Amino acid sequence: MNHLHDIMERRDLLWNLTVRELKIRYRNSALGFLWTLLIPLFMGLIYMFFLRLMAGRGVPMSEIIIGVFAWQFTVTSVNSGLHSITGNTNLVKKVYMPRIILPLAATLANLINYLLSLIVQFPLVAFLLYLQGEFISPMAVALPLVLILHFILNYGIALLLAAGNVHFRDLEHLIGVILSAWFFISPVMYNLSFIERVAADHPILLDLYMMNPMAIICTAYRAIILPHVSFPWTGLIWISIAGCGLLYVLADRIFSRQQKNFADML
Amino acid sequence: MEPVIEAIDLGKCYQRRGVGAPTLMSRLAHMGKSTVHEPFWALRNVNFSIPRGTTVGVVGPNGSGKSSMLGLAAGTIHPTEGRIITRGRISSLLELGAGFHPDLSGRENVFLNAAVLGIPREDIARRMDAIVEFAGLKDFIDTPVKHYSSGMYVRLGFAVAVEMNPDILLIDEVLAVGDVAFQMKCFDRLNEFKKQGKTILLVTHDLVAVEQFCNEVKLIHEGSLVAEGAPADVVMEYLKRYMTRIGQLNVEEHGTRDVEFTQVALLDENGKEGTSFETGKALVVDIRYRAKKRIEKPVFGYSIKTGNGFFIYGTNTQLMKVDIDAVEGEGSFQLRIEPLSLMAGKYFLSLSAHSWDHETQYHRLEDWYPFAVTSPSADLGVFQLPTKWTLPRPD
Repeated sequence: MNHLHDIMERRDLLWNLTVRELKIRYRNSALGFLWTLLIPLFMGLIYMFFLRLMAGRGVPMSEIIIGVFAWQFTVTSVNSGLHSITGNTNLVKKVYMPRIILPLAATLANLINYLLSLIVQFPLVAFLLYLQGEFISPMAVALPLVLILHFILNYGIALLLAAGNVHFRDLEHLIGVILSAWFFISPVMYNLSFIERVAADHPILLDLYMMNPMAIICTAYRAIILPHVSFPWTGLIWISIAGCGLLYVLADRIFSRQQKNFADML
Repeated sequence: MEPVIEAIDLGKCYQRRGVGAPTLMSRLAHMGKSTVHEPFWALRNVNFSIPRGTTVGVVGPNGSGKSSMLGLAAGTIHPTEGRIITRGRISSLLELGAGFHPDLSGRENVFLNAAVLGIPREDIARRMDAIVEFAGLKDFIDTPVKHYSSGMYVRLGFAVAVEMNPDILLIDEVLAVGDVAFQMKCFDRLNEFKKQGKTILLVTHDLVAVEQFCNEVKLIHEGSLVAEGAPADVVMEYLKRYMTRIGQLNVEEHGTRDVEFTQVALLDENGKEGTSFETGKALVVDIRYRAKKRIEKPVFGYSIKTGNGFFIYGTNTQLMKVDIDAVEGEGSFQLRIEPLSLMAGKYFLSLSAHSWDHETQYHRLEDWYPFAVTSPSADLGVFQLPTKWTLPRPD
């Protein structure tokens, strides 16, 4: 938060770098922004069939779509955050600016991308619900709250990885493994009912499971948008939500402390 | 007046280690052991203060710490010890086109680069046509910059950079790029900055520019500030110390040393030793020699090259029919160049002693003595040719 002043002073730069991220992503590709929609949709379809095949039972398409789009936001933020300093060596070494703008611009670009994809996601989910004679829950007005939590989580991770990658290039390899593990322990292609069945005998398992911020975020998206999904308000959830904030504060500290050395290390 | 840039015991230390960033494995492998990295001081114990409105040149051989100094002033790197204080809005031109992305068009990159340099968007939007004009890229401004030639790239970068309006401008060698016309434009623009009373810190290898353009020059070598002061003096000091070891000049000493130059002094017409001489006056080279054995009919010669290695004049005692019977033991002689018809610039003097038949080189000091010439007149060139005009006369 102590960077707020610096960032506001260079908001012009922040915006330009954010736009640059978005422009570069789709430049030279014929389908451009459509990829942001196509990839999660394809993934959603694959997951749905895979789950039916393996688990013998499925999850409603609307839940998968919500999960996959949300997961996509986190994955892109992790990856662009990871490279936000090491991929901008020139700017870091040759220009003075608050370096925090780089991971922030990377995460903001992904947020904008995600928001744009939500514009498509909502009608799609509404249509799927309509087929079952249901409507989007009025709770969906709480979407900004979930978005804020999701953004704070992604931004915190991006800050941490941006600074970390300057020191340990191994992170680039490690992150791939961590992401796939994280994917499987997060309710992206499945939903909480899969966990609840396992946790029926040991309720503590559900509590532990919900310590994963992505479990909270994916479930929260579903709970506010879909009428048939409820959110399990277990006691530990607040700890986990506070954990996202703490992660951000910590990451911000670490980034600020490390940023002096960036130009020397790159 | 309060200085705008002030360095106090400034030092920057790097850890010398293997290539690139440490990997997790190397960290783990060294865990518990105290790793001994060899410290490398890029800059140490540097103190200076630069008053508002001065243009300061920083010169020194490659790797002397010049760029570290600019980086510290710009804030891109942080001092290991001491501190550097700057007062006012700083713009650093450490690289032209910082933040340019190859896939974006020239126009998009102009806005991006302007944001990086801290130029308000409205200013750039208003000045867009002028920028495109200045860069000479009218037909290419909407082409991705990856298709630009390096010259186009740099011109566009500079066209944006000149729109900056800082109190302090830091420039690192960027003006060395581009053709002559482009460099003239750059210097025009810098002169404008100077007139507006801005402070400029300029790192460059272009000694002629430094002397023409700066109020003060700092010489850095191996991380220390070794000389500072009037441009002519510091540049001379630099040439004398280091410049002669590098570049297109071929500084070397060879020969059998049967006859050797033991002491050489460059004197002006009053016999005062110095390294700076005036066009039209005298340059006297006072030479002491030692001959190990009796040498019959030795030939002494000298030649002069410009600072960039261009040979301009040479002669010797043989060509000028000054026959020397023999030399033995120690002695001295003088070489007098009068009037010195060289124009303002930096020159290098070579001396040689060889046998009458050119078979044996006794001692040759190639490009050994740098000197400067200043000219009171405004005529141009390397040589002052004896010129007379007749008045126009109607037929």
